[in-house]
Amino acid sequence: MSKPIVILENIYTGYGTKPVLEKVNLRIEANDFIGVLGPNGGGKTTLMKLILGLLNPYSGKVSFPSGRPPTGYLPQVSQIDKSFPITVKELVSSGIKDKNPWFPHLGTSQRKRLQHILDEAGLTKLASRPIGELSGGQLQKALLSRALINKPRLLILDEPNTHVDKQFESDLYKWLKELNKEMAILLVSHDIGTITPIVKTIACVNGTLHYHPSNQLSEEVLRVYNCPVDVIAHGPIPHRVLKSHEHDNQ
Amino acid sequence: MSDYLSIFEYQFFRNAVLAAILISVFAAMVGTYIVSRKIVFIGGGITHASFGGIGIAYYFGANPFAGAAIFAILTALGIEWIAQKGKVREDSAIAILWSLGMAMGIIFVFMTPGYTPNLMSFLFGSILSVSTTDLYVLAGFGLLVGIIYAIFFRPILYTAFDPEFAQVMGVRVAIFRYMMSVLMAMAIVISIRSIGIILVLSIFTIPQITAMLFTRNFARIIPLAALWGITGSVTGLILSYLLDIPSGASIIFFLTIQFLILKLFFVIKQKIATRSAKV
Repeated sequence: MSKPIVILENIYTGYGTKPVLEKVNLRIEANDFIGVLGPNGGGKTTLMKLILGLLNPYSGKVSFPSGRPPTGYLPQVSQIDKSFPITVKELVSSGIKDKNPWFPHLGTSQRKRLQHILDEAGLTKLASRPIGELSGGQLQKALLSRALINKPRLLILDEPNTHVDKQFESDLYKWLKELNKEMAILLVSHDIGTITPIVKTIACVNGTLHYHPSNQLSEEVLRVYNCPVDVIAHGPIPHRVLKSHEHDNQ
Repeated sequence: MSDYLSIFEYQFFRNAVLAAILISVFAAMVGTYIVSRKIVFIGGGITHASFGGIGIAYYFGANPFAGAAIFAILTALGIEWIAQKGKVREDSAIAILWSLGMAMGIIFVFMTPGYTPNLMSFLFGSILSVSTTDLYVLAGFGLLVGIIYAIFFRPILYTAFDPEFAQVMGVRVAIFRYMMSVLMAMAIVISIRSIGIILVLSIFTIPQITAMLFTRNFARIIPLAALWGITGSVTGLILSYLLDIPSGASIIFFLTIQFLILKLFFVIKQKIATRSAKV
């Protein structure tokens, strides 16, 4: 077992006096690819905010054994104001973590990195466009580039498959599989059918967290853990959701 | 034409033009932040709440602008605090502070014994009575805003666009938000002297939306908004003299006309482009 990069121990958290998550335990290792599933309002986004440091636990501990890893974050696209006057280039640059957060500026190596990531995502021609002119898929690519420009070791994606076409979705999953060789990925989705084939393990979040060290869930597990998710497979993606497996009570 | 130029021989008019130019420049910077973040309503709240400070200052015989500044800054910080804590509905809180400030202003002005000079000039502004000292204040503040934008441009842009992501990237989001709130409040109060409480918000919004007809790039909106602010306000000033109408209102009127003409131009251009694309 490799050394974990993030450990959540017996976390209780929520907003103000409204508790959202309780008794959450999770270890994220360097090359994990965890699908975070669960119903709306079940606490998926809260879990992410906790790991990102945007939210503090009421009790319990979030720890990073080798220091907080560089983290890439892709928020839900509905959180992005598409009418905001910002260009693709500026958007992607905002993912560069500066050593000096007070006087940030782009150095030569950072400009090179920006060009490289824009090329890789096929956004070079769109670099000077305002984000309001992008399609759903192009905006997701730009947001993902922003998350990746800092070479993260932990990538957190919140519903990256909304407002995009099927072609983009399957390209995205190929890209994520490639990226997973270099970083741990936490993929949040309410849509079990499309993500189970690509993730390695699954965390069911509904008030608390149940971890399944495999990407296959049995009907019983879904029922017992009250993880009412969309179990309809989409398009040509293989549907393995209901295949039974030994449940390891970890 | 000689009439048109002779007005520039008067010191008061030259001062008014300089004031319009200086206000346009810092309003372009602060206003682009306001318009991009869609917080014009917050600007309205700050502006009107400042009237409470003016009223109290009158009552106690203090400097009305100091009163306005204190009220504006406290209101701006209060709204930002409410927004960050999220305990009260933000829009309702703004409406309460907005009308409370106006109410306090009216009460204290009413209670002030004797004649309250220049009350109308706070409401509608008096750009034609701007002194040389006022110009130094405007220039100094413009310089301050310019320096802050030059140094902190990226964190200001990133916190305005996606504060949560900026925070993940280590930007001190809360500090920058409070700083921008104070800057907004100061910019508004300093402009009230010339343009008045009722009209001041327009100089922070109309040139910006005019600039946004041409570009959707935050950094480019600023110089363009300054340009359209200057052309609109200086033309409005000259027209106010020629037509003998109140200067503040004339400026706002011309800024709007300028926007509508350019908007119309873009709509027609768009129509022609779609038509030729069909053919």
